[in-house]
Amino acid sequence: MRTVVEAKQLRKIYGSKGNVFTALDEIDLTVQEGEFVGIMGPSGSGKSTLLNMLATIDQPTSGDIVIDGTSVLKMNEEQLSVFRRSKLGFIFQDFNLLDTLTVKENILLPLALAGMKVSELERRVDEIVDKFGIRPLLNKYPYHISGGQKQRTAASRAIVSRPSLILADEPTGSLDSKSATDLLESLKDLNEQDQTTILMVTHDAFAASYCKRVLFIKDGRMFTELVKGNTSRKDFFNKALDVLSVLGGSVSDVI
Amino acid sequence: MTLFSLAKKNVKGNVKSYLIYFISMIFSVVIYYTFVSLQYSTEIQESMQLSQAMSSVFTGGSIVLVLFVAVFIWYSNSFFTKKRKKEVGLYSLLGLRKKTIGRMLFYENLIMGTVGLAAGVALGTLLSKLFTMIFLKLLDSAVDISFSVSVEAILNTILVFAVLILFTSVQAYRLIYRFKLIELFQAEKEGEQAPKASFAAAVIAVILLAGSYWLVFQPMTTNEQMGRNILLFTGGMIIGTYMLFRSAIVRLLSASKANKSRYYRGMNVIATSQLLFRIKGNTRTLTMISLLSAVTLSSISVGYSMYYSNGNNADESAPFSYSYISQGEALDQQVQGILENDTEHPITAHLDIPVIMLKGDISALEYVPSGFPAHESPLKLISANAYNQASKALNREGNLQLSGNEAAAILPRFTSDLSLSDYEGRSISLQTPRENRKVSLVNLLEGRVLRWSYPDVAFVVSDTAFNDLAAQIPPVIYKVYKVENQQTTKSASDQLANLAAEDMQMSSYYTVYREGLENAGLNIFILGFLGLVFLAATGSIIYFKQLTEAHADKGRYDILRKIGVSRKEIRASVAKQTFFVFVLPLAVGIMHSTMILKALSAINLIVGSLAVPIISSMAAYIVIYLGYYVLCANSFNRIVNNK
Repeated sequence: MRTVVEAKQLRKIYGSKGNVFTALDEIDLTVQEGEFVGIMGPSGSGKSTLLNMLATIDQPTSGDIVIDGTSVLKMNEEQLSVFRRSKLGFIFQDFNLLDTLTVKENILLPLALAGMKVSELERRVDEIVDKFGIRPLLNKYPYHISGGQKQRTAASRAIVSRPSLILADEPTGSLDSKSATDLLESLKDLNEQDQTTILMVTHDAFAASYCKRVLFIKDGRMFTELVKGNTSRKDFFNKALDVLSVLGGSVSDVI
Repeated sequence: MTLFSLAKKNVKGNVKSYLIYFISMIFSVVIYYTFVSLQYSTEIQESMQLSQAMSSVFTGGSIVLVLFVAVFIWYSNSFFTKKRKKEVGLYSLLGLRKKTIGRMLFYENLIMGTVGLAAGVALGTLLSKLFTMIFLKLLDSAVDISFSVSVEAILNTILVFAVLILFTSVQAYRLIYRFKLIELFQAEKEGEQAPKASFAAAVIAVILLAGSYWLVFQPMTTNEQMGRNILLFTGGMIIGTYMLFRSAIVRLLSASKANKSRYYRGMNVIATSQLLFRIKGNTRTLTMISLLSAVTLSSISVGYSMYYSNGNNADESAPFSYSYISQGEALDQQVQGILENDTEHPITAHLDIPVIMLKGDISALEYVPSGFPAHESPLKLISANAYNQASKALNREGNLQLSGNEAAAILPRFTSDLSLSDYEGRSISLQTPRENRKVSLVNLLEGRVLRWSYPDVAFVVSDTAFNDLAAQIPPVIYKVYKVENQQTTKSASDQLANLAAEDMQMSSYYTVYREGLENAGLNIFILGFLGLVFLAATGSIIYFKQLTEAHADKGRYDILRKIGVSRKEIRASVAKQTFFVFVLPLAVGIMHSTMILKALSAINLIVGSLAVPIISSMAAYIVIYLGYYVLCANSFNRIVNNK
């Protein structure tokens, strides 16, 4: 099995002399192809910092990140843009859809940027829209559709270019529980049927229970890891809650 | 904390968002004050021969400026309040009484207005001296300029702006009463609807514009036609432009989406959809910029072409340096004496041109001087020989040969649309005490040899015909002189003017040239001044509007960078979009101004060869305008591509 993400001894320090804050320290992380990995931790634990570095939006102070066989730290801005466009797909908490584009245009944007032929591009969009059930919405603008529909649009945009890795940052954070469940089911199907590799940051144990493996971070360091294996989703959820209570994360976040 | 100090703190704390409003306030005061202080400047009044004309032109100019300043301040004020609606809503939410908020906004506006007024007057005092110097330079006058402050100008400026400031302050006070709380909070979400434009409106826009352009090419000879056509032309152009941006451009952009293989390539999908949204929200701004550009371009072109063609006009009006109708030997010798004494301007030619003044039937011709019956119009006749001699003295080419009853017409002034075919083969009849003599026209001459006077109908006849007629109607003798350096014959011209009796029709090239220069100098100055003001205003409106949009778009470009668009691609796309927003109104403005100039030359407001002044005015305008574009594209890029 192929290794998609390999991060070694990541460290991120904010501030300068005298007033230093270590956001991340000695983080090692490996994600194999076809995995669905969750990263959990209380607010301020450094999980978003970690995701931003894997997304190549932020750079670590020291350590190395290899995604799909390429070290991302040595690339310049332009190379990084092309890399993000072709290898990574993003799902954000606040959707980050462009409100001047229709749902369809939002989805095909990464393909258009990559200069794909129109026929191929239309075919790809056509393939994806049924996975997330947004075919009736294609010609609507983002402010006409609900939060759940927006997030499914964002998810379609993330996978349309068939990236090596999907990065999801609190994807259920702005959704009601029904929409959140729908989205998580879709991501799970995607992972199981298409072997898509997904890395999801969340503070919600319910969302984390859909992952195959969950990493817990506390104060910038790796705390522990839970593997789902053959346990049911419900048991896995309870286990995650247990770890969270040890971690000191606020249980009130749980749905 | 008193309300007044809260308002003061507000202004101090939010310098940045107040700055745009404040600067446009100062800008308005400066231009108005500068202009008014020129009007009251004693130096300028002294150096003008036609101070009556000057004061009326200046008054007209200042009325245009008051209108402009009022619109500009109103515009920037509404732009400013739109940005602050949320803040006002917040005060209300926090429990401040409406009356209190209203008064606070009132005070704020009052403070800014007063400070802007003071700063503007101070700055204007410096600038008015500079403009006085430019103006006198244009008039070729050497007057020393003292540094003085005109009290009248200050009072005038304060009066005008006090009214404007009071008005906007009352508007500010009423802001909280005009809107519901919820509307104040939603202010920033306005205009986020997908733009739709009806096809019918787009077609109407094109028809209106085409129709008003078509009107320009229609005959405008009577006052009635002129008034109606110009009114329709102006109306059609303004409404057509608005609808063009409102519907036709939106329609075109939407249609360009249909070409999927172009639309779905790279950043095109972003650029097109952004533009669609942006044009929708900017219809009024784009219309205003197009129309302002058109007015600016036309006024600068008109001013410059008048100044540029002054020499030609003077040549046409007074082909010789001096000309008068002989009143007897004694006076002729006096004139001769004065001109010979003027050693700085040696005489190069001296001719007597006999002219027969009579009436004739010219109803077969296109041009009949208005106010005279076509069958009994006053005419002037010159012999071919006299005409050829005069042409030679003026260094003109060509030798006219006429025989028997052949005649040649001299092209009347302001009828440049007439050509040989309007004359050739037609005949006129000359009335003498004994007969009605028919002569047929064989030629059209463009160079006049007599000074211009109205009615302007003159013909050249063959020498034999002239001698026949002269036997019946004794000709008058035009004495004409050509001297060197005829543009500077002030002292000799003045002496001759003192000498001249009423019916002598004394004219000198110098007087005509000088009057033309003053008129043209005054016009180019005022039109140029207004043009500069409009250009600055156009530039700032489009610039600030773009920057506001850059801030609004920042989030969108952040998203794009996250999903893998490089800074370089964003810069290119921003440059492209801004270019579109800049060039569209410029192109429309240039087209409109061409038509306006065409209309102005159709009603003879501008005459002569205009290619050089018009092209150079347009080139200068485009260069400055593109300077704004570069500035704007860079700022836009800096805002959305930051970090």
